[in-house]
Amino acid sequence: MTFAVSDRILLVLIALTLVTFSAPAFGLSETMLVLGVLLLAVIKAQLVVDYFMDLKRVRGFWRPLLTGYLLLVGGLIAWAFIPGGGG
Amino acid sequence: MLTQSPALAVATERQDSPPGDLAIWIFIFAELVAFGVFFLAYAFTRANHVELFNHYQLHLDRTAGLINTLTLIISSWLVVRAVAAIRVGDSKGCVRWLWGAIALGGLFVVVKLSEYAVHIGDGITLSTNTFYMFYLSLTFFHFMHVLMGMVILAAVALKAARGGYSVEEHTGVETGASYWHMVDLVWLILFPLIYVMR
Repeated sequence: MTFAVSDRILLVLIALTLVTFSAPAFGLSETMLVLGVLLLAVIKAQLVVDYFMDLKRVRGFWRPLLTGYLLLVGGLIAWAFIPGGGG
Repeated sequence: MLTQSPALAVATERQDSPPGDLAIWIFIFAELVAFGVFFLAYAFTRANHVELFNHYQLHLDRTAGLINTLTLIISSWLVVRAVAAIRVGDSKGCVRWLWGAIALGGLFVVVKLSEYAVHIGDGITLSTNTFYMFYLSLTFFHFMHVLMGMVILAAVALKAARGGYSVEEHTGVETGASYWHMVDLVWLILFPLIYVMR
């Protein structure tokens, strides 16, 4: 039985999704929950960009553009959610 | 033992342009910007109504959100396999993977509609409160993209079934696949933002 890279990425995405779903039960502080779940979301999205959209092997600006988008949106969401941030 | 499949081994060389039609990438980035603005509007509005958002978030069906996340991830993977199949000239395989992805898109639609049915049954509308205004409009905006993606994948699958793509020319498959991955990517942010983070 052979496993392509995309098969392994699928398993990682499923595992990270299950961690995200279970995160509220881990007893984390509000800030840690927000940062942890957001970090997982950005990692998952970057895996989709790299291996599903196949931008990892594309030269030029498309991959940096989408990575920058994820970091910017993720960072601003974190700022808005953390107490004392965007409120 | 983990090994590289022959289909994926074909696509390892560096390329100068992204897969599919360049126009779809401009469209994808425009869509991501629109969703990004929506996400930030949700996050910063919540910052001024934390108790309201945290209270009504508990009314959402997080398990349905999980099912839909897994559905889109697996569906996206099926599309990756469809692209890999057509890159080695396997039109039948490509069609089979695409219909699998479309079927999972259909499952997403059914689960989401069942969530909406519960909300409508509870008398919830866009004007119920600020949380539901964002929840309903943001998820419905994404829902429409899922429907659009299914239509695109179906059109690609039908053309592939007629032998419309080959090893040399399969831009249409890559274009449809890229759009579908964007739909998946957006949900990967939307799910934790609306269903989990508090």
